[in-house]
Amino acid sequence: MQTTPDPVLLQPANAAEVAAALRRASEARQSIVIRGAGTKSEWGRPAARVDAVLDMRRVNRILAHEHGDMTATVEAGATLHDVNAALAIHGQTLPLDPPFADRATIGGLLATNDSGPLRHRYGTPRDLVIGIQLATTDGVLTKAGGQVVKNVAGYDLSKLVTGSFGSLAAIISATFKLAPLPAASKTLRIGVGDKATVAEIVRRMMASQLEPAALEVVVGHRSLTILIRFASLAAVVDAQIAQATAVIEGCATDAAVLDGDAERALWHELAAAIWNQPGAIVRASWLPAQIAAGLGELDRLTACTTSVQARAAIGAGLIRIDGDAPAQATVIEQLRRSPVFGNVVIRRGSDALKAVVDVWGPHGDRRPLFDSLKRAFDPNGVLNAGRGPL
Amino acid sequence: MTNVDRLFLSELRRIVGNSGVLDDPLELLTYECDALPHLRQTPAAVALPSSTAEVQAIVRLCALSGVPFVARGHGTGLSGGALPVAGGLVIAMARLNRILDVDIANQRMTVEPGVTNLDITKRVAPFGYYYAPDPSSQQVCSIGGNVAENSGGAHCLKYGFTVHHVLGIEAVLPNGELVHLGGSLADTPGPDLLGLIVGSEGTLAVVTSITVRILRRPETVQTLLAAFDTIDAGGAVVSDIIGAGIIPAAVEMMDSLAIRAAEAAVHPNFPDADTVLIVELDGPAAEVTALFDGVVTMCRRHGATAIEVAQTDEQRARIWRGRKAAFAAMGRVSPNYYVQDGVVPRTRLPEVLNRIRALETRSGLRIGNVFHAGDGNLHPLICYDERIAGQAEAASDVAAEILSYCIEAGGSLTGEHGIGADKSQYMPTMFSPEDLALMQRVRAVFDPGGLCNPGKVFPTPRMCGEVPGPYRRHPVEAAGLGERF
Repeated sequence: MQTTPDPVLLQPANAAEVAAALRRASEARQSIVIRGAGTKSEWGRPAARVDAVLDMRRVNRILAHEHGDMTATVEAGATLHDVNAALAIHGQTLPLDPPFADRATIGGLLATNDSGPLRHRYGTPRDLVIGIQLATTDGVLTKAGGQVVKNVAGYDLSKLVTGSFGSLAAIISATFKLAPLPAASKTLRIGVGDKATVAEIVRRMMASQLEPAALEVVVGHRSLTILIRFASLAAVVDAQIAQATAVIEGCATDAAVLDGDAERALWHELAAAIWNQPGAIVRASWLPAQIAAGLGELDRLTACTTSVQARAAIGAGLIRIDGDAPAQATVIEQLRRSPVFGNVVIRRGSDALKAVVDVWGPHGDRRPLFDSLKRAFDPNGVLNAGRGPL
Repeated sequence: MTNVDRLFLSELRRIVGNSGVLDDPLELLTYECDALPHLRQTPAAVALPSSTAEVQAIVRLCALSGVPFVARGHGTGLSGGALPVAGGLVIAMARLNRILDVDIANQRMTVEPGVTNLDITKRVAPFGYYYAPDPSSQQVCSIGGNVAENSGGAHCLKYGFTVHHVLGIEAVLPNGELVHLGGSLADTPGPDLLGLIVGSEGTLAVVTSITVRILRRPETVQTLLAAFDTIDAGGAVVSDIIGAGIIPAAVEMMDSLAIRAAEAAVHPNFPDADTVLIVELDGPAAEVTALFDGVVTMCRRHGATAIEVAQTDEQRARIWRGRKAAFAAMGRVSPNYYVQDGVVPRTRLPEVLNRIRALETRSGLRIGNVFHAGDGNLHPLICYDERIAGQAEAASDVAAEILSYCIEAGGSLTGEHGIGADKSQYMPTMFSPEDLALMQRVRAVFDPGGLCNPGKVFPTPRMCGEVPGPYRRHPVEAAGLGERF
């Protein structure tokens, strides 16, 4: 994050202190950036002037785990890792596996709506959040949604702040619906020879009645891999692996079944892999059936290497682009013009890249609403230093 | 602000043609209420647009003329969400009923808001797909109405609500501008305005096209019906199921009054019991088979007096017919009834249901209970006879008291029917003035003029002409042209 010298570091201990900090910043017209663990602080546009950083990590209690109701209420500064360690005592989980899962906070996950391969089965934070407490820049604490999994009373403001990148309000706490921890898990790792075969496997899996927890496509340096994860009772997992093997018959150049530590290591390493390599990283979407066309287009657009990690049946993933900033900028602009890709957003990029290509891309006919919402929530424009989408 | 005058009507006719405007008092009768007939208001006129462009032109005209408007689907809503505004316009979306795109390969479908929920499934069923949210009114309710209310259904415990199955919408904002939220591609950057609009009860925009996710039919479905002597025993089975880490496709309970009503109406051959529990598991055959035996064992352990496992699709359909007909069936056992939709944390169900039973005794009004036991969504059916002086008011008081139990237990005023005009006065029991003020601020962003379905969701003094009170037969029902679901 680019900041002016010495932004004040605020470390509120509770909701009231967060609200008071926002009100003071707003009244003084001081730019304030809300921060969790900082795992995604380089996302978004380069920050304009930052007068204060609001570190949410002390607001980190697990307020309730109603295991009989399969819900939990946790404060924004709690890490996903700590939350899930507590939920596991009763055999439950907040089923998210985003990058930086060991450090990422609940507030940061909601603000970015970030997720990982388990999105295939469980969705993103917006699909799991059922209630929220917010602090707005007028220093007021409000709530929306509730503590029950089914509830349509009032506007669902938890959706509104999901993906807002801290541009509208501070998330104090959130209530989520949970999932039972599966008894067993195995992953079928399939090496594939070409893009058409990738598409064929994805097509067959989507048309099948199999219910994987994840269906991931990983494109590396001269490698194409599909990972199909099943999580259920042990016998069910084995039966599904056998069925999946039959479904993809004739497609794989090699296949292996991983479980236990090997499986855990595979997914753990995969979550970090793309981030451990150099280059820009963009998030992009496509229609799932267009995956071969998408991968073909990437080959055509990128003279230098790319790598891709994608949720195949969702049609969304991360694309890593090598090269210098001008070359990366060209690729991103071409991706935005491509008939296959959409919603191309820079996740990681140098300031040089962000100087020539907007991080967020055009907002189309949503722009006026974004602007009005920003004015309504943050009339003095103090939140998040212009980094977010609004 | 209201100004539906001759000029307005002639402009309206210019937009949608003579056949697209209704202003004859007799024709307007159909539109004076939704499926919550005790709230009624005759609109000044009804417009029946056939295209997005016509909706835009109508909304622009309303904005220019300061005429409040209410979008209406097929009028099956149970909270008065489509209740007209006095002197205002109803925009009836029934003619926007085309299926625009069916994309099996990408498991999505784009439809206009007047398409019925079940027609989506019917269109893709031959390919082995279905649309998951299944409100009891799914044969007749519109997908546009589902979007407005964030409708659920019996299967939302496992599959979620409308908001989890809508990928994108096209909508006309109250200023007449068109906006596209979400879409066929995932991950529109920025705040989730799609998730905000779904469930906003028609107060933020008029939705003109909807892209939904369709799901592959599960490999196996297993359904059982178990009878118990007490609600507590049924509740204990549900606790065991959840405790075992099983997420059923559906868990429904009905009490004796609801059972008797369903039996009288559609003869599902339910056992004569205090409580019946319906449990449905779906998914991969290996999983369903492994878990289903466990559920049967749990029912036995808690003293089930009868267990019926559906052996055929026909048997399963019969069980569901009994459950889904429960609301309409109350007409067989009571001249009038009033249905509420409060939610409690699932673990508090037995306690709240026992409070409701005590209230039943105390109030002298019979209360049938049909509920989604997996997610704690109650549907108490309060029986009364409007011909007996004071009963309608008593029913309204009983409903309010039940909602107070739900809030005290940490629940919600509504799980799927919406706040609408029916429950807006109770919103302050669930939300603080600050909570409601922030929501109103959001509303003002979309609808600064306050013309888009005003008087709903948020507590306001009752509008003139709005009559609180008992259920009366809808004119369509009275004419024998339709029945309530």
